[in-house]
Amino acid sequence: METVFPLFTNGFLDNNLNLMLGLGIGIIFGFILERGGFGTSAHIAPVFYFRSLIVPKIMVTAIITASTLILIGSLLGYIDFSQIFIPTTYLWAYLVGGIIFGLGMVMSGWCPGTAVVGIASLKIDAIFFALGLLVGMFFYFNIYEYIIDFANSGNLGRFTIDKLVGGDIRISYLVTVGVSLALLLFVMTMKKVIDKKGEN
Amino acid sequence: MNEKKYWSPVTAGILLGIALFISFMVAGQGMGASGAFARSSAQIAYTVDPNFAQNAYAGKYLKHGNALLNWTVIEVVGIFIGGFISALLARRIKPEVTRGKGYSSGKRLFFAFLGGVIVAAATRLTRGCTSGQALDGAATFSVGAWIFMLAAFGAGFFFAFLFKKQWKGVE
Repeated sequence: METVFPLFTNGFLDNNLNLMLGLGIGIIFGFILERGGFGTSAHIAPVFYFRSLIVPKIMVTAIITASTLILIGSLLGYIDFSQIFIPTTYLWAYLVGGIIFGLGMVMSGWCPGTAVVGIASLKIDAIFFALGLLVGMFFYFNIYEYIIDFANSGNLGRFTIDKLVGGDIRISYLVTVGVSLALLLFVMTMKKVIDKKGEN
Repeated sequence: MNEKKYWSPVTAGILLGIALFISFMVAGQGMGASGAFARSSAQIAYTVDPNFAQNAYAGKYLKHGNALLNWTVIEVVGIFIGGFISALLARRIKPEVTRGKGYSSGKRLFFAFLGGVIVAAATRLTRGCTSGQALDGAATFSVGAWIFMLAAFGAGFFFAFLFKKQWKGVE
């Protein structure tokens, strides 16, 4: 059996065709995000008050669906998993960056991907958020040289779950499904508790 | 005419998962978003001042010519088009400032902007956002994706009390 996937990284697509297909893939993403309800901050911010579970439910379902397909394709030998891009894990930068990100997300009610869909349906708050993104990026470009050591601290490389707990891609998959479902169960339980108290 | 209903979360999640898988199989990467804003910002700065090509961070975007000739940037243009088509067909295109009852829209827009500034800087530390880091990373078994997600959503829950009024009754 020949590993042909991913097509681009295995040399089956030239750069221009890959870019053109990227536009089509983006259109599919945008359509699904809008139809799933990601085009309004009214579905994102309430997550943090356990009032809406739309976003966590979609995320968990998507993670399980995609990882199941990747697992099957890899075990059957059609996918060269090492060719799939996974960002390098920087432990400390991710922890601190994640906390800052969370503050910005509950403050704005947006994240970069959902805001693109929000702008497409004329959400004014999404437009202001996107302008903030451009300014924030520029700010980071200018402070980067002073925080360069921290930004690259805790470098663990292409760090998949099997490298942490042992085993292979099957273990990675089981942990992914387990953690996803556990977190979903947690937010569902929290919502029930808060609904009962009538605080919302 | 009324707007169309959203898909159920499970339907949307399965379709999003399949689309992510297709993206990985074709391009070798999944959905991205923040990178397109970083590159746009760099390109704007470069257009205003060509010396910006020497910048310690943004230089890497500019050294191959136009920073916008990039897969993630083009894919984000696609997200905009796809989102627009869906919203148009669902009759959901209308100017709106989403905010809690009685909350001033000026204050809301200020926090949307400031939140954007904060999120942008954070995504450079975390090498991606809820799309390119959390969703893609979790689907490809990355430990970093979970570190990011737990920190981001944990902080979201933790800081939520500060913005209670802004989101009062919003659902």
